[in-house]
Amino acid sequence: MSALPRDPTALVLHKRIVACVGSGGVGKTTLAAALGLEAARKGRRALVITIDPARRLADALGIGALGNEPKAISAQRLAALGVSGGGALFAMMLDIKRSFDDLVERFAESPEARERILKNQIYQHVSDALAGSAEYSAMEKVFELSERPEYDLIVVDTPPSQHALDFLEAPQRLLDFLDSRLVQLLLHPAFAAGRVGFRLFQRSAQRVLQLLERVSGFAFLEEISEFLLAFEGMSEGFRERARRVRALLLGAQSAFVLAASPSAEGIQHAAQLLARLEAAGVPLAGVIVNRVRTWPGAGEPPARIAEGAEEAAALDALERALAASSGAGYPAHEAARAALAAIRTYASLVRSDTQAIAPLRASALARGLFFCRVPELSHDVHDLEGVARIASALVRAPAEVGLV
Amino acid sequence: MAPQLLTAAPTLRSLLERRLVIVTGKGGTGKTSVAAALALAGAAHGRRVLVAEVGRDEHLSRLIAPGSPPVGYAGRELLPGLIAMRIDPYAALGEYLGIQLRVRSAVELVLRNRAFRQLMDASPGWRELITLGKVWHLEQMRDPRGAPRFDLLVVDAPATGHGIGFLDVPRVVVAAVRAGPLRRNAALVEEMIADHERTLLLPVALAEELPARETAELVAKVRGELRIALDRIVVNALVGRPFPPGLEDLDAALARLPAEARWPGLPSPRVVAACAAHLRARHDLNRVYLEEIARSTGLPVVPLPYLPTGIRDAEDLRRLAAPLLAVAEAA
Repeated sequence: MSALPRDPTALVLHKRIVACVGSGGVGKTTLAAALGLEAARKGRRALVITIDPARRLADALGIGALGNEPKAISAQRLAALGVSGGGALFAMMLDIKRSFDDLVERFAESPEARERILKNQIYQHVSDALAGSAEYSAMEKVFELSERPEYDLIVVDTPPSQHALDFLEAPQRLLDFLDSRLVQLLLHPAFAAGRVGFRLFQRSAQRVLQLLERVSGFAFLEEISEFLLAFEGMSEGFRERARRVRALLLGAQSAFVLAASPSAEGIQHAAQLLARLEAAGVPLAGVIVNRVRTWPGAGEPPARIAEGAEEAAALDALERALAASSGAGYPAHEAARAALAAIRTYASLVRSDTQAIAPLRASALARGLFFCRVPELSHDVHDLEGVARIASALVRAPAEVGLV
Repeated sequence: MAPQLLTAAPTLRSLLERRLVIVTGKGGTGKTSVAAALALAGAAHGRRVLVAEVGRDEHLSRLIAPGSPPVGYAGRELLPGLIAMRIDPYAALGEYLGIQLRVRSAVELVLRNRAFRQLMDASPGWRELITLGKVWHLEQMRDPRGAPRFDLLVVDAPATGHGIGFLDVPRVVVAAVRAGPLRRNAALVEEMIADHERTLLLPVALAEELPARETAELVAKVRGELRIALDRIVVNALVGRPFPPGLEDLDAALARLPAEARWPGLPSPRVVAACAAHLRARHDLNRVYLEEIARSTGLPVVPLPYLPTGIRDAEDLRRLAAPLLAVAEAA
């Protein structure tokens, strides 16, 4: 199915890969777990992958420590949450450093090259920071797992990143880097000199290298070039793999969901991200705003809450009702006033969330995406039951769909 | 709001007595608002303040002066005594190369080289290092009389998934690079960060489950690996008491109202009770995690109020500034 899903349920029913993107702190991990659980409820075998080092997913799912391999949630616990008939839920936490080491092991051209990389000072210090490596190894792992038959759906909680597209762009950046003539010169000065059209370039590149050496010191360049030399052999396998990872993520089997928080700042960040995702050609299916304060029941708060002439009568009625239900000693007079203040306060919070969300909602609907809000629950989510409540809220919340 | 928290450390120095305050926190904690509020407070107390944000988009300068054009790398005086800038790594790199190479044409040659850009785009760590290098450079600036150009530098550190990895880079470079100018410069930056006299790390957290846990992890990491000073945690966006004193159980009283009752101008009893329950639940959760942050970090906690309207202008920021400095005043 290649058409964009119209709501979260269709999303988890018809896609193979669902990636949750969004800034840190929006509850992406919980939403990813909730989407996975919803898929399991619909009879699919879902795997949720997180890169969240805070172990939130493991805690939320109540399965102790998660490792770099998928772990099943017990069928018994899932059954209690409405999962039956073939549905299953697995979770894993990505170990970035370990995944990158795996990558080196797989693509190094010889055992010696592998050792050279793994033992290199630069690699040891920076492999977990290596431009987008966290993002890339996450996607690499998704690719690996997508080739296994055990899972119908993989939900990925992407790394919180300022440039949320790093995970798509990182491999190409790494390849550009390895391909660059400067690096080639650093690696193979003699070989590179033989290339046609190289002379002109060489003079300036050599000058650049000399200048860099003055700035950074020889030891540093030596260490870098050793690292790159070892890395270079990986380039072919890596390139082919990176191409296939990209094709999988941008293909018809995948969909992205943008998660946001309802603060003005959160909505602004999400809108920026939405524009970037669109520009990058990412198959974005919908936007989920998490923890939105919603009016009890449904709809919007009334425009007027016992205003003007009605206020005295409302307070009077409330006071009498409180005195009747809470007994003679209860300070019903003050309580009625406090209750009215509480209703008005909460109504204004609901209105401010609605107002903050409006621009993001409009731009999602204008693009034909689905748009849902998950109401703020009165308790934090820290167990599987909490995830189930979010999953139910996600399905219950009416998804709006833009028509384009 | 929580007097026992305010008096927990009577020896706390005022934030305004530091030279460099690095404000850190995950996205959504209001870290940028806190950095802006601190900068405003500094300027209001007569300090010469520089506030720098790091990252692709400018948010901080817009909080202080909504609608004004971007301040960019060159920076601009937004209010008397308050200069704001955005540290762009490539601009800082150009400046650094200029200082190191002394020849403008050589700098241009390096920066315009496409291969060099590719090299830099793919290289890790240098953005952090050059950004901190720029902060060091600003910290070292002197006015014509030889006094520091800025009394207070506030840095709004990048919100990343790696927390304080940003501050760790100079240490890593010093460890990884054996000799040369890069190592020497990284060592200077590391020295500045580790100087408890000059520099303070100011974490901003929310009193919610995940941020509370991340704050505890951040503090453990700072104590274990980084040598930067840490003396308090700012806990932002705390909701006030939902009901007046003596009416703490108002939500329970409202829940006892007969469901079928109807009152003029008011929603149904079920909705009334739900509104109160919601406010109560949010407040109670806030208290639980505020206390957990204080307990797990062992540090004094600076509570900042939740502003329902968000930050609209400098006036809203000033409402955060007073409680932000309150710990020192209580000391």
